[in-house]
Amino acid sequence: MAIAGPIDAAERWLTLSPAGGVHHEAVGPDGTVRPAWKGFHDWMAGEGPEGMAATARALDRARAESGIAFSPGAAATGATGATLIDPIPVILSPEDWAQVEAGVLQRARLVEATLADLYGTGPGRLLSHGTIPPGLVFGGDAFAAHAAGWEPPSPRYTYVYEADVARTAAGDWVVLADRVDAPLGDGWLIANRIATSQSVAEPFVDLGVRRVASHYARFQELLDSLTGWEGRLALLTGGDRDPRFFSHAYLARYLNAALVEPGDVTVRDRAAFVKTLDGLKKIDVMLRGVPDRTVDALHRQRTAARGAPALSAATRSGALALGNAIGSSVLAHRALAPFAPAIAERLLGEDLLLGDAPCLWLGDPEAREVVLGAEGADWCIAPLTRRPSPDDPPMPEDREGLRALLEAKGEMHVAMRTPLLAETPVLRDGRIASAPWMMRVFACWIGEEWSLAPAGVAAEIDPGSGAGGVIPALGFGKDVWVLTGSNDVPSEPSRSLLADRLAAAHLRRTGRDLLSRVADEVFWLGRNAERAEATLRLLSVCLRRYLSGNRTDADPQLLLDIVSVHAAARSGLTPAQGFREAVRALVNDTSEPFGLQATLSALRSGAVRARLSISEEGWRDIDRLCSDPRWKEGLDLRRSAELARLIEDGLRHLAAFSGAAQENLTRNYAWRFLEMGRRIERGAEIARVAENLCGEETASEESRLRAWLTFSDSASAYRNRYMMMPRAAAVLDLLVLDEANPRALAFQLLRLEEVLSELPREGPYRRPEHRQALALLTELRLLDADALAGTDERAQRGLLTALMRNCRTGLSEVSDHVSRGFFAHAEAPVALQHAARVEEG
Amino acid sequence: MLYEVRHVTAYRYARPAAFSQHLLRLTPRETDDQRVLSTRIELTPRTEVSPERDMFGNTAHMATVTRPHESLTITATSRVERQAPSQFIFEAGAGWEQVRDQALGSSNAPPVPSVAPFIFPSAMTEPNAALRAYAAESLLPGRPLLAAASDLMSRIYRDFEYVPGATAADTLPEESFAVRRGVCQDFAHVMLACLRAFRLPARYVSGYLRTIPPEGQTRLEGADASHAWVAVWDPVFAWVDFDPTNDIVPGLDHVTLAWGRDFADVSPVSGLVVGGGAQTLSVGVDVRPLSAETA
Repeated sequence: MAIAGPIDAAERWLTLSPAGGVHHEAVGPDGTVRPAWKGFHDWMAGEGPEGMAATARALDRARAESGIAFSPGAAATGATGATLIDPIPVILSPEDWAQVEAGVLQRARLVEATLADLYGTGPGRLLSHGTIPPGLVFGGDAFAAHAAGWEPPSPRYTYVYEADVARTAAGDWVVLADRVDAPLGDGWLIANRIATSQSVAEPFVDLGVRRVASHYARFQELLDSLTGWEGRLALLTGGDRDPRFFSHAYLARYLNAALVEPGDVTVRDRAAFVKTLDGLKKIDVMLRGVPDRTVDALHRQRTAARGAPALSAATRSGALALGNAIGSSVLAHRALAPFAPAIAERLLGEDLLLGDAPCLWLGDPEAREVVLGAEGADWCIAPLTRRPSPDDPPMPEDREGLRALLEAKGEMHVAMRTPLLAETPVLRDGRIASAPWMMRVFACWIGEEWSLAPAGVAAEIDPGSGAGGVIPALGFGKDVWVLTGSNDVPSEPSRSLLADRLAAAHLRRTGRDLLSRVADEVFWLGRNAERAEATLRLLSVCLRRYLSGNRTDADPQLLLDIVSVHAAARSGLTPAQGFREAVRALVNDTSEPFGLQATLSALRSGAVRARLSISEEGWRDIDRLCSDPRWKEGLDLRRSAELARLIEDGLRHLAAFSGAAQENLTRNYAWRFLEMGRRIERGAEIARVAENLCGEETASEESRLRAWLTFSDSASAYRNRYMMMPRAAAVLDLLVLDEANPRALAFQLLRLEEVLSELPREGPYRRPEHRQALALLTELRLLDADALAGTDERAQRGLLTALMRNCRTGLSEVSDHVSRGFFAHAEAPVALQHAARVEEG
Repeated sequence: MLYEVRHVTAYRYARPAAFSQHLLRLTPRETDDQRVLSTRIELTPRTEVSPERDMFGNTAHMATVTRPHESLTITATSRVERQAPSQFIFEAGAGWEQVRDQALGSSNAPPVPSVAPFIFPSAMTEPNAALRAYAAESLLPGRPLLAAASDLMSRIYRDFEYVPGATAADTLPEESFAVRRGVCQDFAHVMLACLRAFRLPARYVSGYLRTIPPEGQTRLEGADASHAWVAVWDPVFAWVDFDPTNDIVPGLDHVTLAWGRDFADVSPVSGLVVGGGAQTLSVGVDVRPLSAETA
């Protein structure tokens, strides 16, 4: 058997053999490569398997980088794991795209017209003419009665629309799902496009792929015109636990919108406001990324628990433009499909250009009989207005059970059948293969008309999903390239908007508009970072002493005393056992209050939430510290050298984070709250150490003082100043009273007082937390070191102990005042009792 | 009959509440049998209320208290003239299957968009198999819907025990049905769930019932009650009221506030509060008949 040469191998590697009769994107029926794919095909041939593998890796890296920048943990890469690394785009000819575009834009108009008909004043045409049955609208709980019948009616119901589109094996485009309620997946599209255009740069540029920047520039223009010169644009997200958070955060940056959560929003005088440090700020335009059933707890008490009460009142008054309107979920997913041709004829007077994959509305008794009949297995039953969820109760297996369910709740369900779909090239296990595919496309209203982004996010559809027609949850996916046609304007601006947008967004995010929630997050980030540092430093001091073997310094009782500054007390152990156990617990026990497991986990999740307010570099430092796999190895004194190294690495990352925060964060409100958190925590820490190590004079006093100096990184400062063995009065002067030493208590109080004095206040008087900090600082200033170091007849330093306890209480009160004064939003609204039950009726 | 209706709702909070927002459906509706002569809502501390009409034609008021407050009192006062409703011969109404088909748009009769929201189970009127079977006993084939509804009302009245406190504001009909207990809201929800299981248009009506003191006793201030009942649709007679709590067709003693798909659409006083801690709530309703001269 002859061994094939390299050229043969490359050709064979690229040979695509479509299944008979199935439309293939890259290869025509005669087996030749389609014109739109010629350039990319040649490029792949040149790259060969290794080149393609390298491209896939580069793309994966580019995606991971943008993903990590926004998303918590492994969820960064979106929902579909296996299809992520496919670098082969789906390439569509200008003619193909023209069909998709015309169809999707008509559908967007259809959605708007249908919502206006259903929610406008008076009986809608669709219901009064019997174009659609009442059960399609009122059979489920999607219809928002509190958003219907407004006078005057909303000027617009939709600003964004997305569709899941596929091509059938016969070559026709069909819609698999309408995304109407809370689309905003554009962040994925843009991030995906940026990653692909960087990693697959050569063919991307050479083929003249159409760019998305001008599409979004026009959307931005519309949003600017709606917000006005001084107005605010916000994007409402479910927060970092929402699987779509990546897209929301990315899009908010791109569009220069404030990223807000329902709890940030309040409605006063029929206008919407966000809660910022500087008080309430009006929002003029809001893009809604959370389902409509979860907002406006005033009008929808049963399903909306997440804030933004009375939001519909702000829309109703016209003070807020909301995209998309509350109530738009009534057309989400498959509600339009069963009647789309009739609705298009009735409302638009047009033939529907882009039809749906087969979809039966099960409120119709005849459709129920189809599903219950012999061909039932070909159909997949799904909710009408939303994606199927793994939490849905399973469909009854037996026919009678299914019949009972459909008779009771048929109106809320559809039966879907995904047709045999066209195939496109994919890279699988290093080879080129073919797979059925679908794409999501993204439209937005640009003022006079809809515009469709000339791109898409594509995904393989698992052929094994059969009649289920399971549409993958889209995150990152294959890029869809639309080639420039002869009729297209060739000179679209090729420069991405992103650079400009990022710069502008940063200004807005860090201005005086800091959301109260973000201030809260940053404040706790500062506290947790400092707490992590304290525990790491304490362990570092102990381990160094333990490893030194020095008899005085490594005395078990002394080590136990030092570690007990943070470790919970344990009874019935010898000092050596107690120390060993305390170190183990501080490193490994999740339940240890000051333990690293708890602190680092709080630090990382806090950093994820505050991610948009801290610098990129600062975030990476925290991530490196907290995600170090060695924390999971159960290290303890038996591997003390390894543990010591891990702790030193951790301290380095924290130092880098502090440096990044000092250097890279402009001195805005976010920085101030971070600083406050740090100073409060460090001040309390110093007070704790002082009381524990210095509260009484002991035989080991000198060694204890040295431990404190090492802990405070001030041993050399002490030597420079005093040139002698540590003495209590001198150490207390340096570590408690010295306002110039960044490790001294007085320094923390001074900085805290400074930062507090810069916060907004309502009246001419200092706020309570400011007064409290000033009182603590003044108390220290009136003391001298000798008095502090003074002992009574039982060798107790009563003054020091009392002062330190007072400081800790005082700092904790400052923290409480700050929380109450600035983060009061954190208290969620609760429902009032219902009168009807108290009355008898 | 002329009435002055006074409905006082008072919240007290354990700690000062920072902010509260309220949705009030305390304004009586004009109907064929009811005229509203005057109506007003006052809040203490003094707070603006702004009216809005919902899709069912009810008037709701929104109120937002933005100052710290330890208590809030909502007083709604209305003067209403109530006339006796027309008498119907229920057996003359349309058969329930025919009503269902017309409501669903599956007959040749023209669709009736105004009843469309009331045909299907809502979140608080979800039937189960037991409720469906219970309803079927009244919905005999070919029976006029109004006659069936009247029978269903009487059965609920007979089969259920009126027990205040046995259920809560969010109790679902399947729960109150299982124990055959509840208050007016539960009976209305049960009846609605029964009818809607068969896709028969019916709506929840919120209002008041004048209580007539026993012979020889004086009327007690604040002892009247807010009330709820059901209205059922017939193509000829339109909406006909049924009160399953009292087994009567509402008449001169009933004052209508608002209607919707279920309690959630029309709850007289609802809202949200930030801070405040524990709440205590007291409610007083007076439905006071006026002589013609005082009106």
